[in-house]
Amino acid sequence: MAASRKLMSIRRDWRERDVRVVLAALMIAVATVATIALFASQLQRTLVTSASSFLAADRQLEAENGRPIPERWLDEARNRQLETGEMVEFSTMVFGADNFQLVAIKAVSNEYPLRGQIEYQREPGQPRELVSQGPAPGEVWINPRLLRLLDIEVGDSLEVGNLQLTVSGLLVREPDGGFRLSALAPRVMMHVDDVQATEVIQEGSRVEFVYLFAGEEASLESYYQWLEPQLEPSHEWEGVRDGETFSRSLQRAESFLLLGGSLAVMLAAVAVAVASRQYALSQRDTVALLKTLGVRSRGIGNLYLKRLGLWGLAGAAGGLAIALPLYWLMSRILSDVLEREVDYQLDPAALAPALLTALVALFAFAYPPIRRLRNVPAMRVLRSQPGESGREALPDMVIAVLAVFGLVWMYAGDVSLVLALLGGLALLLGTLALLGWLMVLSLRKISGGGNAWRLALVGLYRHRRASLSQMAVFAMTLMLAATLILVRTSLLADWQAQLPEDTPNHFLINIAPDMVDDIDDFWQERGQPLDTLYPMVRGRLTGLNGDPVREAVTKDEGVGALNRELNLTWMDSLPADNEIVEGEWFAPDQTTGVSVEAELAGRLGLQVGDRLTFTIGSEKVTEPITSIRTVQWDSMKPNFYMAFPPGGGLEAMPATWITSFYLPGANKSALNEFSRQYPTVSVLEIDHIIQRIQDIVQQVTQAIEAILALILAAALVVMAAVVSATLRDRQREGALLRTLGGRQSLLVRSTMLEFALLGLFAGILGVVAAEAAVWALQFRMFEGQFQWHWAVVLPIPVFSAIVLALFGRWQLRPVLSVSPMLLLRRLE
Amino acid sequence: MLKVSNLTHQVSLETDTLTILQGVSLEINRGESVAIVGRSGSGKTTLLGLLAGLDTPTEGTVELDGAVISKLSEDERAKLRAQRVGFVFQSFQLLPALTALENVMLPLELGGVESPGKKARELLERVGLGERLNHTPRQLSGGEQQRVAIARAFASDPVVLFADEPTGNLDNRTGQAVSDLLMALNREQGTTLVMVTHDERLARRCARQFNIEAGVLSEPNVQRVAEPVS
Ligand SMILES: Nc1ncnc2c1ncn2[C@@H]1O[C@H](COP(=O)(O)OP(=O)(O)OP(=O)(O)O)[C@@H](O)[C@H]1O
Ligand SMILES: [Mg+2]
Repeated sequence: MAASRKLMSIRRDWRERDVRVVLAALMIAVATVATIALFASQLQRTLVTSASSFLAADRQLEAENGRPIPERWLDEARNRQLETGEMVEFSTMVFGADNFQLVAIKAVSNEYPLRGQIEYQREPGQPRELVSQGPAPGEVWINPRLLRLLDIEVGDSLEVGNLQLTVSGLLVREPDGGFRLSALAPRVMMHVDDVQATEVIQEGSRVEFVYLFAGEEASLESYYQWLEPQLEPSHEWEGVRDGETFSRSLQRAESFLLLGGSLAVMLAAVAVAVASRQYALSQRDTVALLKTLGVRSRGIGNLYLKRLGLWGLAGAAGGLAIALPLYWLMSRILSDVLEREVDYQLDPAALAPALLTALVALFAFAYPPIRRLRNVPAMRVLRSQPGESGREALPDMVIAVLAVFGLVWMYAGDVSLVLALLGGLALLLGTLALLGWLMVLSLRKISGGGNAWRLALVGLYRHRRASLSQMAVFAMTLMLAATLILVRTSLLADWQAQLPEDTPNHFLINIAPDMVDDIDDFWQERGQPLDTLYPMVRGRLTGLNGDPVREAVTKDEGVGALNRELNLTWMDSLPADNEIVEGEWFAPDQTTGVSVEAELAGRLGLQVGDRLTFTIGSEKVTEPITSIRTVQWDSMKPNFYMAFPPGGGLEAMPATWITSFYLPGANKSALNEFSRQYPTVSVLEIDHIIQRIQDIVQQVTQAIEAILALILAAALVVMAAVVSATLRDRQREGALLRTLGGRQSLLVRSTMLEFALLGLFAGILGVVAAEAAVWALQFRMFEGQFQWHWAVVLPIPVFSAIVLALFGRWQLRPVLSVSPMLLLRRLE
Repeated sequence: MLKVSNLTHQVSLETDTLTILQGVSLEINRGESVAIVGRSGSGKTTLLGLLAGLDTPTEGTVELDGAVISKLSEDERAKLRAQRVGFVFQSFQLLPALTALENVMLPLELGGVESPGKKARELLERVGLGERLNHTPRQLSGGEQQRVAIARAFASDPVVLFADEPTGNLDNRTGQAVSDLLMALNREQGTTLVMVTHDERLARRCARQFNIEAGVLSEPNVQRVAEPVS
């Protein structure tokens, strides 16, 4: 019975326009935030899985010390419901019938790959197949180039150490085909169980044991917690996020989704706040009446609390009813784009912010004005109601705004984001206050004279209170939308710049010094000029300021780099994408000094002026650090930790040369000719990887566009809600102006002008505040890569002026279609 | 000046049509003052709206100052209203966001008058609200709002003024003052006055009185209407 009465009361409420607006705003709020959050969490999972296949797992543990890890580490992982796999990587000579060749062996267990698939070909010319398992024991798959280099065919046998193995297929692409310069020779893939029998691996040989892990994110995390204290410096735990090549793109996509979600939270809060506050103010008369009828203050408070609660439920239910099918649709589209199934999962962490946002905004903005009314004496309540003064409402507003920002914080978990948005908002409101003051000063003198412009300006002045608060909401909405547009634009531009169409997709390695010119000519003739050729010397960093480096470097994390051979080079000019952060680049005829990559310098605690000693073969070279520079690791060009000046001590060392270049798919056959002519040069083909990255960027771009569209739609709805908040007053005014003899065209023009001015000012304010917020954001979230995009944001004020003018026109519609008499009767 | 013949007004409701006015005919000369009395719901406001060109009748014609209202376009009707007609609404119809002064300025601004503030101030002073220029309707009492509405109706120097219960919310003394104001205008400026009123005394001060009952208009003889007030 009671429940049905409550339903009845909701149904009765529904007949009130203000209530309908509140409920609609609630539903839209819940729907937008929930859809974006669900989709973002979906996309994140999808991205992580896509990216995981770059590791062939979710995590890798590399042992660079040449020893396997204890078996119980793997047992522990399996106990924690993680899948595991093993790989052993080493270089060795393999022998065909007549020829031999240095190859990079990758021996894999049955489980490899845990993520992604191997692309494999049974015979040259046969279709490529995707398989989820490597070669069986006794078999090997080889890089197609080896067929030529060894002069063998599929089915022949191959000698690896003491073991004869059968070539049973061609390895076209491995899922974890990231490139390491240590693995340059052609690839041979075999089964891990055969490694022992080859007897290639002896104490002290260079071999890397790699372990693969996959499973739930939480289990992986807790496993790492368990594992970390036992790891030695030579162990390296790698996740997708730590990888160098793709992490930046992914992190930015995630940041964008978070930002999009946060903006959705704020927009939703604005919509609900505007609507519910409007409702609360319109309820003042009702509250007054109830008080004169003898209902006690507490009773009134409870009545409204209950009502708001009911609406919260109704709005949440309605919002979810919109969000879930929408999300379903988006995940369908995503799975079409990706050409694979994606799971439809209702992540509670994604739903919570949606519901909380709606409720917080509802109660924080609707209840305080009603509650305050309880304190008004009944006598005063009886008299006509002066509108609530801003001063009374201010503390509540501040609390409510803080609550909303708290929500954003909870949602994004990023203080700097909250601060940037809050700062932008403060700037916006400050400017608005100034603008309001100027408006009052300058418009006061204008009095209308039958012309649309003057009437519009008079209108702005007369409605200054409503105009300013509407402008605040419009400007805020536009600021949020503009922020997102700005971030999206520079995000996409950045990605485009990072991997342009002609990104180098082949490396040539191991070029003997006397071949450099010939090879340069070879590719020049075929219209595929090489990028800069760099000499490369492999050496270890062994001394720092005269002390052995192991003692001198105290930072634990640095030690990993010391175990590895570093690629050293010499160059006369700084590569275009490198940047000096400390010290100075070599002077033209300088032959001493060394330039160190910034991250490594940071890890080892190196400073300009420190003297580094490198051990190269049996030689030692000592140079002072003269500069520290950043490197674009994902540029797909040769990058070096250590660069020496030409003519320095390094030039005496045995060097090979390295370069990268862009070779379009259509010209791939030139590679065969090249390999035949220069069999000792290694070719590293990374065109597949680049294609993958470009595909992912494409997908993420589409997702970002979808989210942007959703946010913009939400922004439009908020603006419509705000406009409709004063709908009744505006219509009454329109009706009255008509009875007083205002021509329709005059009415239309002045109203549209007034709204257009409102929109223009709000747009300008919003754009300026957005630039400020983005300026603040650029420091943290997006690594300072931002430029000002005035061309992108300038259309926004124009757009908002037009949209608002149309809203204004739309408002007048009933005023124009009905006789003034009927209109006044209706608006009574 | 004002010629109404065979006026019928109907509104269609959800289920049937409601006839509010039926076969109303009357003629009012320039400078006359006319009172329309009748029970609540009898159709007084509707008739007044039709006479003022705020609505168009279902049947019949209203001829105002030589122009047949139903034949005019909406903009021509607006122009007519702006130049010839003043209207005092039963429920005032003041804009709550505007001050008293701004409310009175509205018709002047629409008409493109050069300094609307000056004239509006004069009018408000004349209705005794010279001290309340910058108060919004919410800060004014019912009677004060009524007077603002009257000042606004006079702002455009109308040829004919329609007033829907102009003294309905006023105490005797203020009501008397407002009546005096209306009659003075009628007398001094020759403004034609058509008003709906329950106030017998005000009705008696008008040259002619009409009775309306269930949408049918009649003009009883002056003696019968002018019974003493109880
Ligand atoms: N647009 C309409 N829709 C429905 N009913 C209407 C409409 N216009 C007028 N009426 C009805 O017509 C009747 C006459 O209305 P009107 O406002 O003219 O009465 P009135 O004589 O002015 O009454 P009062 O003295 O109470 O102001 C009323 O019953 C009213 O409800
Ligand atoms: Mg009436």
